[in-house]
Amino acid sequence: MIEFVQILIEGALVGLVYGLVAISFVVIYRASKIINLAQGEVVVVGAFLLWTFTEGMAGIGYPLPLWLALLLTLAGCVAFGWTIERTVFRPLIGQSAFTIFMAGVALLILLRGLAQLVWGAQSRSAPAILPEGALDLGPFLVNTRLLIGAVFTILLTQALHLFFTRSRLGLRLAAVAEDHTTAHSLGVSVRQAIAVAWIMGTVVATAAAVVLLSGSILSLEVAVIGFKALPVALLGGMESIRGAPLAGLIIGIFEALASAYLDPLTNGAASGLLPYVVMIAVLLIRPYGLFGWRKIERL
Amino acid sequence: MLTLANVDAVYGGVIQVLRSTNLDVREGQMVVLLGANGAGKTTTLKAISGLLHADHGAVTAGRISFAGQDITHAEPSEIVRAGMVQVLEGRRVLEHLTVYQNLMVGAHLRSDRAGVKADLERVYGYFPALPELAGRIAGYLSGGEMQMVLIGRALMARPRLLILDEPSMGLAPILTQQLFRTIGRIKRDEGLTVLLVEQNARAAISQCDYGYIMEGGRIVLHGSRAELEGNQDVQEFYLGMGGGAERVSYRDVKHYRRRKRWLG
Ligand SMILES: Nc1ncnc2c1ncn2[C@@H]1O[C@H](COP(=O)(O)OP(=O)(O)O)[C@@H](O)[C@H]1O
Ligand SMILES: [Mg+2]
Repeated sequence: MIEFVQILIEGALVGLVYGLVAISFVVIYRASKIINLAQGEVVVVGAFLLWTFTEGMAGIGYPLPLWLALLLTLAGCVAFGWTIERTVFRPLIGQSAFTIFMAGVALLILLRGLAQLVWGAQSRSAPAILPEGALDLGPFLVNTRLLIGAVFTILLTQALHLFFTRSRLGLRLAAVAEDHTTAHSLGVSVRQAIAVAWIMGTVVATAAAVVLLSGSILSLEVAVIGFKALPVALLGGMESIRGAPLAGLIIGIFEALASAYLDPLTNGAASGLLPYVVMIAVLLIRPYGLFGWRKIERL
Repeated sequence: MLTLANVDAVYGGVIQVLRSTNLDVREGQMVVLLGANGAGKTTTLKAISGLLHADHGAVTAGRISFAGQDITHAEPSEIVRAGMVQVLEGRRVLEHLTVYQNLMVGAHLRSDRAGVKADLERVYGYFPALPELAGRIAGYLSGGEMQMVLIGRALMARPRLLILDEPSMGLAPILTQQLFRTIGRIKRDEGLTVLLVEQNARAAISQCDYGYIMEGGRIVLHGSRAELEGNQDVQEFYLGMGGGAERVSYRDVKHYRRRKRWLG
């Protein structure tokens, strides 16, 4: 029983981190209607940027204070997100879904190559931003880093929800998420909104990288997180910020259970497969996900 | 206040819809633009608001100016900032946002919180049903309720010129009457200028100061309310005099065309 609950806790915490990456998919999708297949690579680049400003600078004899390193990383991913939007996806506005899909694939391969070119293929130890260790909660052990990440995800979700429903910029982005023509007619600069969304999505993805990698191994392989988080975003609903962490919980728990009880019987295949099985099962019943926007039928 | 001078508009680079359209909206007036389906009314309004791009259209000749400013090729956001807001045809509420959020999106360019709050109260004053609906998801409202949200949302931008594209479409006659009365009241109270596109000619003409009639992308007739009401073509074709029908039948159209040819 204790073991079972322990598995649930771990699954839930990891799932919330998936939720964080899923939010980055959602923020970008809402404004641009693009599912960025390369989002996992964006996480990796964000992580490498952070590594550069912490370990990297320290390695060449110029250690930066952590706040400055974080600030530079933030600036780096703002520029990075803006560049992706500006150079790859903006020129494709109005093109077919297939063209945009292929551009996503190309971007994925390009970023992978660029990351390897700039930072090399070897694994490194990622900077330990968050405290490592475990918290004793009665009979259970809770990983401190994941716990902080999970709390951060929940707070960020709430903050973004308020942003999108209350602030002027957020409402602008919400209008763009609904309908570009209507947004235009209200004087919203749709192009600017899409650029802002890409920047926000990139920053959130990098925040996920911090939580996920703090004190562990950083390599190009980390990009798989993108394909772990994509079913979470689809399950929560591509338009729903608050759906993402909830779907993350569901998928994280299923994955943890599968990993504990089914993987030994399936050569480890079950835990990789199950998130997608859950996602497909739910999407068959609700194609727009748990909290996504269903097309409202007008009479 | 708003002038279109010899405006041509084209879709997809080849389909010419507007042909040398001229139109003038004076400050404080309610101007109505009438015409059959496909006459080019919506295209005219989209050209004015800088919205043709999204439909792969463009203004290819002529000049549109608003409040002394050339806005022929301006961005929609600049045009809204300059004081002109359009309510598009087809009741485009932001479906998944609440009524309150819809209204606040209308005010997204404004930083005067107190003014925004006061305007919200004013909108609630014009549409007393809205405060009750504030928390409801806009996509599930009735047609009449949506139209209130749309006009309210446009007012939240504090426009000087309000453009409405077929606001009565699909509304019951009694709601249409109410709607026009409210629009008239808003225009008076706010000192607004209004440009209105309508199928429902009778209601529209009775409210307007000046009217234009469009056919095949051209303005074929224009005049003050009295002139339009006195014009026999307008009476037969648009006001359905004799038959009493609001909607124009195909036979009426043919008859109208024939008469028009005589009139040259
Ligand atoms: N996006 C578009 N692409 C091509 N043709 C269009 C487009 N929108 C409208 N049209 C054509 O332009 C003409 C005028 O349309 P519109 O301005 O919508 O008329 P109205 O509003 O008076 O009914 C119609 O013949 C219509 O088929
Ligand atoms: Mg129309």
